[in-house]
Amino acid sequence: MKLEMGHIYIKDIQFAAESKIEDGILYVSEEAVKAVVLEDEKIKSVSFDIAKPGESVRITPVKDVIEPRVKVEGRGGIFPGVIAKVDTVGEGKTYALKGMAVVTAGKIVGFQEGIIDMTGPGADYTPFSKTLNLVMVCEPVDGIKQHDYEKAVRFAGFRVAVYLGELARELTPDETKVYETCTIKEGMEKYPNLPRVAYVQMLQSQGLLHDTYVYGVDAKKIVPTIMSPTEIMDGAIVSGNCVSACDKNPTYVHLNNPVVHDMFEQHGKTFNFVCHIITNENVYLADKQRSSDWTAKICKMLDLDGVIVSQEGFGNPDTDLIMNCKKIEAEGVKTVIITDEYAGRDGKSQSLADSDPAADAVVTGGNANQVIILPKLDKVIGTLDYVTKIAGASEETLREDGSLEVELQVLTGATNETGFNKLSAR
Amino acid sequence: MEKEYMIITNNPLIREKLGESHTIIYKDISYEDVLKEVRDRIHEGHRLLSHPLSGSVKPNETPYKSVMISKGKGEIDEGSLAIIENAIQACRKFVFKSDRYKPEVYEDFRLIDWTLLESGIASADAG
Repeated sequence: MKLEMGHIYIKDIQFAAESKIEDGILYVSEEAVKAVVLEDEKIKSVSFDIAKPGESVRITPVKDVIEPRVKVEGRGGIFPGVIAKVDTVGEGKTYALKGMAVVTAGKIVGFQEGIIDMTGPGADYTPFSKTLNLVMVCEPVDGIKQHDYEKAVRFAGFRVAVYLGELARELTPDETKVYETCTIKEGMEKYPNLPRVAYVQMLQSQGLLHDTYVYGVDAKKIVPTIMSPTEIMDGAIVSGNCVSACDKNPTYVHLNNPVVHDMFEQHGKTFNFVCHIITNENVYLADKQRSSDWTAKICKMLDLDGVIVSQEGFGNPDTDLIMNCKKIEAEGVKTVIITDEYAGRDGKSQSLADSDPAADAVVTGGNANQVIILPKLDKVIGTLDYVTKIAGASEETLREDGSLEVELQVLTGATNETGFNKLSAR
Repeated sequence: MEKEYMIITNNPLIREKLGESHTIIYKDISYEDVLKEVRDRIHEGHRLLSHPLSGSVKPNETPYKSVMISKGKGEIDEGSLAIIENAIQACRKFVFKSDRYKPEVYEDFRLIDWTLLESGIASADAG
């Protein structure tokens, strides 16, 4: 499967009478994007705002971050089974608006998630301080259930991203990258001496604000399966989760998953990137057992030499992570696992809720319990009313001088477990 | 058909939703004490059926937890024991702030605990 990714660099976003992209500037008709959001009768009102890197702006509570894309050639459309009709994606030509994002915000539950600071110490921890952000804050109609509100905001963000992506359909990309995968047999013939390596991605799948969707299917209802690594670039996997924002994969991360992109860099050089295996993280222990059994079985059937396993979230997914690692290793397939740590504020506690000697190659996204002081910023998009209710925050979070004392957990993407974050070790 | 599991919870919403149809052991206790209740029953030979930690809402942040265990008893299940002991350990690394939220937030914590349990019940009832 071959996908050409055309990158269109966005240098600025401005509100204007007509939506268009010209000379790298995205002009957005507020009226048009509002109409796109309000197609859903469950949304009462929406306000749009623009946040640029370096500005004294705090966005919260963030629900999802999405990169606008458009399918220019090939089967299907962006977000298959969600916005576009169901069709296998991942081949042909796709354009992405680079350097910008659509950020959805809105209060769904009282302990809502996610801060993006565009400047100051918080900006160093979230990758989305570096993108030009078109932020949409959605208010639901009265009396709506949280499930319906979550779904309405999730879909509204995708619709706006697709609307903006469409503006690029006739443009010429600034840069083009080609991603090509082989079939199983082709790969064996082409790279007979290279190790066979796959990516095992664990998707959070547990309930309201803890869900992920694959081609529109709730990931808690899938059994592990294989995908071409290019499918995610067309939006085959989307996010429905945001609680504990530091280690959740917003849709932007699924589209740009750095594990997939880095593995493509090595494909045909140091190893043969065989495929992308997806599995879930359910609440029910028998589901965990079935999914990890199947993941290990697929690794064996594909005659893999090694896999990289990425986790999403903390707590009960630690059990899935270790089950996957242990069972895949038992099949004779080497594993490297990517996780993050909840090692306490002092960093001295055990990092994961589960462990095994088979997990002897571990990459960490950082300690989510690490405390950080976020100074008061001039402008808030969304509301600070809920900041005290974010995971990692409490009623005492907001200090007298307006600064916030929080754990890294609250910052969108701070300890991301695909490596889409800013933390590193010296 | 008689359910083969029971639920240990400190979440009043679970009692309200499932009290008539399911076997519920409801106690007005802390998150950590719910896990200890579960551990004690695992020692009696019950098996753990749902994971005692949530995916995102941390122990000591949410006060609520609901856990599914088997109704039947057998030999002590080592796997269940390892998971519950690790979960109890995990509780201790989070700063306790379950009592520091505004009243309306507790309703949302109860709802999230319910949706997580509901997904476990859906799996159990499908099997």
